[in-house]
Amino acid sequence: MEKMTNNMQNYNVFVPRIVDNDEPYSSGHRGCVGCGEVLAMRLVAKAIGRNAVVCASTGCMEIISSQFPYNSWKIPWIHTLFENSAAVASGIEAAYKVMARKGKIPSADISVVAMGGDGGTFDIGLQALSGALERGHDFLYVCYDNEAYMNTGVQRSSATPFGASTSTSPAGKRRSGQHAWKKNMPSIAAAHNIPYVATACPSYPYDLMEKVKKGLAVKGPAYIQIYSSCPTGWKCDSADAVKVGRLAVETGAYPMYEIVNGQVNITIPTPEFRPLKEYLEIQRRFRHLTEEDIAVIEERLHKEYRELEEKSKCQNK
Amino acid sequence: MITVNINGKDYSAEKDETVLAVAKRNFIYIPTFCHNEAVADYGSCRICMVEIWTKKGKNKLVTACLFPVEDGLKVETNNERVLFIRKNIAELLLAKCPASAEVAEIAAQLGVYETKYRIEKDGNKCILCALCTRVCDEVVGRKAISLVNRGINREVAIPFYDNAAACIACGSCVYICPTNAITMTDKDGIRTITMPNCEMKFALRKCNSCGREWIPEKQVKYFLSSAPGLTIEEFDLCQSCRK
Repeated sequence: MEKMTNNMQNYNVFVPRIVDNDEPYSSGHRGCVGCGEVLAMRLVAKAIGRNAVVCASTGCMEIISSQFPYNSWKIPWIHTLFENSAAVASGIEAAYKVMARKGKIPSADISVVAMGGDGGTFDIGLQALSGALERGHDFLYVCYDNEAYMNTGVQRSSATPFGASTSTSPAGKRRSGQHAWKKNMPSIAAAHNIPYVATACPSYPYDLMEKVKKGLAVKGPAYIQIYSSCPTGWKCDSADAVKVGRLAVETGAYPMYEIVNGQVNITIPTPEFRPLKEYLEIQRRFRHLTEEDIAVIEERLHKEYRELEEKSKCQNK
Repeated sequence: MITVNINGKDYSAEKDETVLAVAKRNFIYIPTFCHNEAVADYGSCRICMVEIWTKKGKNKLVTACLFPVEDGLKVETNNERVLFIRKNIAELLLAKCPASAEVAEIAAQLGVYETKYRIEKDGNKCILCALCTRVCDEVVGRKAISLVNRGINREVAIPFYDNAAACIACGSCVYICPTNAITMTDKDGIRTITMPNCEMKFALRKCNSCGREWIPEKQVKYFLSSAPGLTIEEFDLCQSCRK
């Protein structure tokens, strides 16, 4: 699988008609208006297909897809706690392997996908995820990163970007929002020497689906972090859910890249950045930031992007 | 509803379904290259060969993507005869396109790593499955590319190898290509679509606000002519600048 991911953002108009129209994730869920996360989940479900088991940790996506007595999933789905979705997924994978060995099922080509929000991945589920990546189970971990605990009322997590105002890092006279920088989770995942790590965004749907397919195709663990906009928590217009993702990529706030066997590859290159202000001003969680604050954030984000670019260049030589 | 027996197990099916559709729904793996649900099936890659027995006692090898199911049909997707013929087809495809990673992957699944046939053309990736021409015709409705010549000279091309008049640079052929024989790049205001035997270049339109190139001029022209209510102002701003 080496489809040219570098061009995935260029497709338009007619390509949606070629994409498989089977929907393993049905409509009628309880997502907020303009939820970017559930859009990402639908695209992930389309990409993994029907021959799969999904294992979801607690979070927005579990709440909205399984309100008793309904469920939006048309494929096997199991709810786990915040901390152990990776552990449960590795158990499922191991069980299928044993069943295939004993001849109880024809083959073990069933995809196992674990899902979690940023809280369940960056903070609470990190040790279970690290264990599963280290043991080398053949599964895909998808993290929906909406940059705070949105489900319980916008508390900060370690994925919250610098300066964002949340209910536990409120902007006021002394402090201007979140005081720490965002944790670099893809690097942590890549440090386990796993074959595939990627970041994706539902604003670039073909790129996202291709990355999920790549993650499933590799033998061994894969980690995909999906930037998903949250109009409720970020306090942006619900009509801007897709636009905010595009702006995040084009301003350099959330670079789209993949790390294949240690080699960094920027899939949506940004040769020149848009001003970061365009991205920040449409979200009310950033409205307290002064020009100096924005300059500091912009400098840091650009530095991180340049570092990524350097990495991709020196390895591609 | 009718009953079809695949690999010794009974499955129910609708009347006009193909063997491939029934197998796919029940997670029975059959390798394919030239199948896509968006376009009509064509049966050119032949890798989806299966063996069938009809109720009347007819026994033959057919392509799963084209053969319609009937009541009492018995199908085997993985027996010795099917695998023998599938391995042979994989060898022929390897001889046709030695540069394709996707063909090598499916061949490796069948245990084929090298071919006994003569390599037709080094660096070739196109398996002539015609998905690109079919999608251009059936989905896009432009017929910009087609299969030209006969026999061993057959290839995918634009008319006379240099006339890209009907192409609107939508990239559908690039997306659907199962072996990545067609590629597309956007650079310096030019979109280049590279086919195995020719190259097409299209100028891109700039966004009035941010100055990025985002849509081919030709596509804008096509949309303006095909949708009467549309005005040129709609294409002034790119997706990210639009309010």
